[in-house]
Amino acid sequence: MFVRDKMVTELVMVSPQDTILGTRRVMIEKQIRHMPVVENGRLVGIVTDRDIRDAMPSLLFEEGVEPEVCNEIADHVIGDIMTHNPITISVAHTLQDALLIMYHKKVGAFPVVDEEGHLLGIISIRDILKAFINLLNIEEPGTLLCVVVEEKPGQMKKVVDVISEENIGLGSILVARYWDEDHRALFPYLLTCNVATVKRKLMNLGFELIEPMDMLLDQVPVNEKE
Amino acid sequence: MDERGKTGLVCEERCLLHDTGDHHPESPSRLRAVYARLKESGLIAQLAAIEAQPASQRWIEAVHNIHYIRKFEDACLYGLPDFEHTDNVICRDSYDAALLSAGGVLEAVDAVMSGRVDRVFCALRPPGHHAERDKSLGFCYFNNVAIAARYLQQQYGVEKVAILDFDVHHGNGIQHIFEEDPSVLYCSLHEHPSFAWPGTGRDFEEGKGAGEGFTCNVPVLPGRGDKEYRAAVETRIKPKVQAFQPEFILVAMGFDAHADDLMADILLTAEGFDFLSRTVVELAECCTGGRVISVLEGGYNPQTLPALVEKHLRILAGLEK
Repeated sequence: MFVRDKMVTELVMVSPQDTILGTRRVMIEKQIRHMPVVENGRLVGIVTDRDIRDAMPSLLFEEGVEPEVCNEIADHVIGDIMTHNPITISVAHTLQDALLIMYHKKVGAFPVVDEEGHLLGIISIRDILKAFINLLNIEEPGTLLCVVVEEKPGQMKKVVDVISEENIGLGSILVARYWDEDHRALFPYLLTCNVATVKRKLMNLGFELIEPMDMLLDQVPVNEKE
Repeated sequence: MDERGKTGLVCEERCLLHDTGDHHPESPSRLRAVYARLKESGLIAQLAAIEAQPASQRWIEAVHNIHYIRKFEDACLYGLPDFEHTDNVICRDSYDAALLSAGGVLEAVDAVMSGRVDRVFCALRPPGHHAERDKSLGFCYFNNVAIAARYLQQQYGVEKVAILDFDVHHGNGIQHIFEEDPSVLYCSLHEHPSFAWPGTGRDFEEGKGAGEGFTCNVPVLPGRGDKEYRAAVETRIKPKVQAFQPEFILVAMGFDAHADDLMADILLTAEGFDFLSRTVVELAECCTGGRVISVLEGGYNPQTLPALVEKHLRILAGLEK
């Protein structure tokens, strides 16, 4: 739930004096795209694979790179191309916080720092995706249903009761807002292949089951879409 | 040429003793309905009967972990109600039925390799394609088709085996057992894993390591049917199998992609299944000198399953086109 639990603490860092070419090699070797830049134990910036690429000559020049250009690149260091004062996050932020900031600020990873600016870890979109893959249980064998319920208390209970009666494990259950005006859509992810009886029971209770091709996980009004 | 003598059928009454209860989709009644249909239609008399024997542990172990095998046997002996998951309902006879189900396919292999028959259909249960090396899943305990593939290789020196899986659910077990092995090609057509159990078989799962390129998954969206299956077979499956040049073809033949089967959302018609059956015959004729064994997997509507099995067998046996 907290950044503390999902951040990566085995850090691959650079200093502002490190070379661009050396840093590029480390990124390729370690298969990472973001590196915190640290000086005297404190975070001073972040450098991404895009910063590095921007600093390199284009692959499209087939004649090769002039020696002067190579020298020019070799003369520069990470401090010249890094982003100063990057957006950071604290260990006490939640994963939901991290997800929202990533989405709204359009960044792929945050350094995690304490109040004095000491670097504690890094958290990237991959770490958050992994947490949500686990939360949705989509790597466990299961079957996704979509049940339309009226927007009033007690509807979820009826659906869950049917699932429990059949002794079926629940991988996750999502609720979609705005399915239509007075209805919501429930998405129970059932950890079974044996769904025929559950489906029949739900229909007998008067629930509408949405055909798989018509399931829209994020049905929201057009004006809320970006 | 009289082809009728060259097709075999494996039936085994003791497979009905694997009692999952009346309300379980994979109940004895589905196979009982199939046997009744094959007898009543007279088809059974036109085929070579092959008797099932329990598979020897050696061959089960060619695929499954010994601790898993013992754990399954123990669960049956203790009379536990299910094994590893509430889907997998068992009884005291389930272990023996599973040995017969796997062993029946091995007898089919013997019958083909001895030249007695060219093609065989195995009407046995429990099914197998979801069973992992050390885990039961989706009503499957021993991976019958995977065990047969290893038997072909290790007992008969067959080098390249192609497995076609037409069950509506992805055959995770077969895929995982062979995904690093370039000597076994696994091709599966199934409902897209975001909508259907077990959630594997995405098109980017193409094998691993030395086996990269020897797994071919074609997920089909819910609500689709004959047209999409035809296109997938013609453009994806056939070229893949022909390029692989297998010496033997095994088919994990599920019938649950039928429109009237509530276990999934694919709308294949009887004609769609005829097309799949003809595809099996055609690929066997062109690649393996006609040698093919088709093994029953899923198919849960007792109203439609018997007729689908009968027609599959008729096409396999060359009695109908």
